[in-house]
Amino acid sequence: MSKLKKIPLMLLGAGGAFFVVTFTIYFFNLDMKLTSKLEPFFLKHYDTMPRKQYV
Amino acid sequence: MDIIKNPRKRDGEQQLGVLYDGGKVRRRREWRGFKDTFFDYTRWLYLVSVLGKFIMNPYNVKGFFRYRWMANYLGVMHGMDKFTIGLRDEALRITHYSFNYVIADVTQSIVNCFRGDRRIRNDEEFSKHCVLTDENAMTAQMMGFKAEEARAILREVPTMFAANIFNQNSVIHYIDVAQQYGIPGDVCPMPESEAGISIDDDFCVLGSCAVQVNTTCDGSMMGNGLIAKRLEREYGIPTFQLTAPLRHREEDVQKYAAEDMKKAIAFIEEHTGAKWDWDTYFQRAKNVNDCTRKRMAQLDINATPYPQFFGAAFSLYNDTNYMGNCGRDPYFVKLDKKLLKLAEKGYREKRMYAREYRHRCIVWGVQPQYIIDMLYWMLQCWGVVPLTDMLSMVNTRMIAEEDTPENREQAYYDMAWLNENMIMRNRTHGGYEVLVDELWEFCEQMNADMVMMWEHMSCKALDGMHGQFEEQARERGIHLVWVCHDLCDPRVYSRQAIRDQFNSYMRTVMREEPLDPTIEVLPDENAW
Ligand code: SF4
Repeated sequence: MSKLKKIPLMLLGAGGAFFVVTFTIYFFNLDMKLTSKLEPFFLKHYDTMPRKQYV
Repeated sequence: MDIIKNPRKRDGEQQLGVLYDGGKVRRRREWRGFKDTFFDYTRWLYLVSVLGKFIMNPYNVKGFFRYRWMANYLGVMHGMDKFTIGLRDEALRITHYSFNYVIADVTQSIVNCFRGDRRIRNDEEFSKHCVLTDENAMTAQMMGFKAEEARAILREVPTMFAANIFNQNSVIHYIDVAQQYGIPGDVCPMPESEAGISIDDDFCVLGSCAVQVNTTCDGSMMGNGLIAKRLEREYGIPTFQLTAPLRHREEDVQKYAAEDMKKAIAFIEEHTGAKWDWDTYFQRAKNVNDCTRKRMAQLDINATPYPQFFGAAFSLYNDTNYMGNCGRDPYFVKLDKKLLKLAEKGYREKRMYAREYRHRCIVWGVQPQYIIDMLYWMLQCWGVVPLTDMLSMVNTRMIAEEDTPENREQAYYDMAWLNENMIMRNRTHGGYEVLVDELWEFCEQMNADMVMMWEHMSCKALDGMHGQFEEQARERGIHLVWVCHDLCDPRVYSRQAIRDQFNSYMRTVMREEPLDPTIEVLPDENAW
């Protein structure tokens, strides 16, 4: 098969892989599961910041 | 009312309790059948692209590390999932398109805040043309300014209001800070947390001036006082107090309100160097009228047996469209049209979004419904359709939109009217007619047999009317379900404590069984 003919197949493969990966992340809520694990680190960081509290 | 049974079987998930596992986020996303799951997935991809673009900007990353409230935006997708639970077809699309735009709008307002913020990007030229505008304002006083000359920055929206949609615990830290400085615990958590944010120095600092309003209540005026003091004394940002009369339906207060509006505009001109432009104003007045017409058309559809645009997304969209936007963003005109077209299609096809509709309900009172997926839950768990809510019953009057010498004078009255009739305060202030009497009129217009009364325990605005509601609902044979909460402080009323009040009414008074028993009690105390 010539290189030119392979391009649509490669595009289809890349699109398919993109779909499989992103749909898995989407459906199993992996994005939110990851960000919920990050939250405590951020909160710790904010707690240690110097603040100029003022009324 | 007669029960309406859905002749179509819902695609995908039938019992929604399976999505909750007691964690911060859901176990997985909902299976809605192939077509609707794929649609939901494409909207998820769209939001990933919006947030991805946001985080590619190094100033936004800097802001993320500077401001505590930014951590709440880790839960944006979770917030979206909260408001689409059980939805299919047109309602799913309407909720996504409306809510996605609200998210995009909030994202843009964070970008604007960071751009002008003295601690982040400090673009002084940009900041010079920014006016810090109270989130509780209709922003009508900005309608005649071109954005590049005077831009409204509603910094409380991303900091407090929107953050709370994505994380129920978003303001707890700030409430604690305010209380450490002596503000009592029975103050409404909304102004209290805003005061706490200011005390904790966690607001972005930008703009040449600020406009605050008295449009909610004494609680919010208390918070504004602290915020204005810091703005003026520490950051040198002069603050104007735009004061809307309480009795906003009385003729004799309108002149005062219009005069105050003129003064606010002059103040903005003085501090930003911007010039009021009547062409810009009347174009935006047309947009406001267009949005009013479309909202009324949506309400007409909701008055039929087949409501399409409902729930927290309806109310949030109206909030954003009237208050944050107030005619200034032309995209809302296009979006209103698209949403109405979808709703009309759903109505024609008699789309229903639960197995059966048992009650038609108006949601009234000061609401926490952005923090909890209550309105969608009522529909899925009990077949109670939330037809509309108090916040969506805002202005219905058309404002002057042709540029004539008389209308230029009328415009000040119209802007004042919009400001006085700010979402929520148009009902919580102005006497019992607007709060109690008109509720029964809406019940009639929308064919409602039930009212779900949010009772915000720290809001003094409604408490005095409790007895009148009880008495009059009984006279009219309307089921009145009181649901107490403490707005954005979930430590006082947890989500399940809120739902339990509704559950006990449905079981003991209505003697009904839930449509979906798996969600009657949900383990979401720890969820975002
Ligand atoms: S909810 Fe009530 S107490 Fe809180 S800001 Fe609004 S009007 Fe004031």
